[in-house]
Amino acid sequence: MAMREIISSGNELAALAARDAGCKFFAGYPITPSSEVMHEMSDLMPEIGGVCIQMEDEIAGVAAAIGAGMAGVRTMTATSGPGISLKAENLGLAQMTEVPLVVVNVMRGGPSTGLPTRVSQGDVAQAKNPSHGDYKSITLCAGSLSECYTETVRAFNLADRFMQPVFVLLDETIGHMHGKAVLPTEEEVNKGIVPRKQFTGPAEEYFPYECEHDQPAVLNPMFKGYRYHFTGLHHDKKGFPTEEIETCRKLIQRLEDKVELHKDEIELNEEFFLDDAEIMIVAYGSVSLAAKEAIRHLRAEGIKAGLFRPITLWPSPQDRMRELASRIPKVLCVELNIGQYRDEVQRSTGRLDIAGLFKVNGRPISPYEIVNKVKEL
Amino acid sequence: MARTLMRFTGVGGQGVLLAGEIFASAKIRVGGHGLKTATYTSQVRGGPTVVDITLDDEEIFYPYANDGEINFMLSVAQVSYNSFKGGVKKGGTIVVDPNLVKPTDEDRKTWNIIEIPIITIAKEEVGNVITQSVVALAIANTIMKPIDKESLIETMLSKVPEKVHAANKLAYELGEKYALEAIA
Repeated sequence: MAMREIISSGNELAALAARDAGCKFFAGYPITPSSEVMHEMSDLMPEIGGVCIQMEDEIAGVAAAIGAGMAGVRTMTATSGPGISLKAENLGLAQMTEVPLVVVNVMRGGPSTGLPTRVSQGDVAQAKNPSHGDYKSITLCAGSLSECYTETVRAFNLADRFMQPVFVLLDETIGHMHGKAVLPTEEEVNKGIVPRKQFTGPAEEYFPYECEHDQPAVLNPMFKGYRYHFTGLHHDKKGFPTEEIETCRKLIQRLEDKVELHKDEIELNEEFFLDDAEIMIVAYGSVSLAAKEAIRHLRAEGIKAGLFRPITLWPSPQDRMRELASRIPKVLCVELNIGQYRDEVQRSTGRLDIAGLFKVNGRPISPYEIVNKVKEL
Repeated sequence: MARTLMRFTGVGGQGVLLAGEIFASAKIRVGGHGLKTATYTSQVRGGPTVVDITLDDEEIFYPYANDGEINFMLSVAQVSYNSFKGGVKKGGTIVVDPNLVKPTDEDRKTWNIIEIPIITIAKEEVGNVITQSVVALAIANTIMKPIDKESLIETMLSKVPEKVHAANKLAYELGEKYALEAIA
């Protein structure tokens, strides 16, 4: 793959990725530590004839982005945890109406306004179920500057494939850190773009929500002669409200199954020194950087530690985790929250003896803290 | 090169972030790896700010400087100096602006403390207080020598508006001069 080198920050790289992935619309409301995403989009969008709007608040930000998605363009919003809390209702609408959208969340300390300028991974559970009801979250988590770019690109393609919002989780550290990123070229990104499906038959035969039990809705762009209806209510094949028993069941089961039965297209993880590992560290986002540094130290001392890093957090790479945990005696989850992902590791592996190293004071976990914890196990 | 860890500290609004970005970019340009991270408070101005700069020929994973391993720190605010000096390893170098930071006698025994009136140089000799981050950059590079001087200046000029190129070049020369005098 043809590559290029860019010196930038994680937030700026997420914006660059959006442009390269064909995003034409951004709406949001600035919030630390994600503001640079919008700042950068305000430069990039007009350059390519796209639009970047600062809306009056977080709710309007996601609403406008969803509107653009309904109209048929690739669209994004960016925020931090408090913004997701406000956007939650509309994210549910996008799940129900099957509107593709990329949501970048640069995590900071919570709950509530929390620690605005400090790092956290407290939104991992929120990303799984931001809104009420049944649906399957797709949540990607960048673990390097390069991945702030590549995972954002992947998010756009997954959003169009599965017709739903896709989260890209960054955290304050990775969003603000500044250094070298090795990225695929724009041509490579272009080659990988698969636009959403469209119906090309006669308008009177078009039923956007009439699809296979494991496939997403086929939403044609607005204003092209194909008329249908959007609603947050349970709806029929044309999108109009219904309470017909079988239609309601099929709709919600399909929202689940379109993701659940195609997890292999979504799951992604990195394995670092796991081949002979006796201790598996599970970490993601910026914490995985400290874990890699820790593994360098531990290996130098002859301690066989390795890293499992989920890149797709939801749906979790549960089968791979279970496989690894069945042969690696000790497992340690390291997170900037109180075990939000450890719950998932326990569920996936069926093991309750998963150790944890957690921090929630807005400060990063250092490699030495991980080294010391591993030695205690 | 062995890993170089530098920490620039001040208060929000002083421009310490830019110096870190210039170091990291320059190291990448000359070949190698550089990372800058910044930690600041939610106060808009006046809160303690710290920038960690990691430079290495090898890939860098963890982007912050580990406390106790920092080779060099520069500080232009007492509140930040007090908060972050503990991260500098014993015998390491700390440059302070003596008008703004007063190290204790104990500090002088622990670290190699160098006093350079950074803000005054920028304000009075360069004539533009904003150039203090470039004075600081020059001091750090003259003492620690992580990057070839010409490459660093080139990177620095690429990150500041053209109309202030002359002022920033002067700021660099002055920073270098004071640093050489201080370590002579």
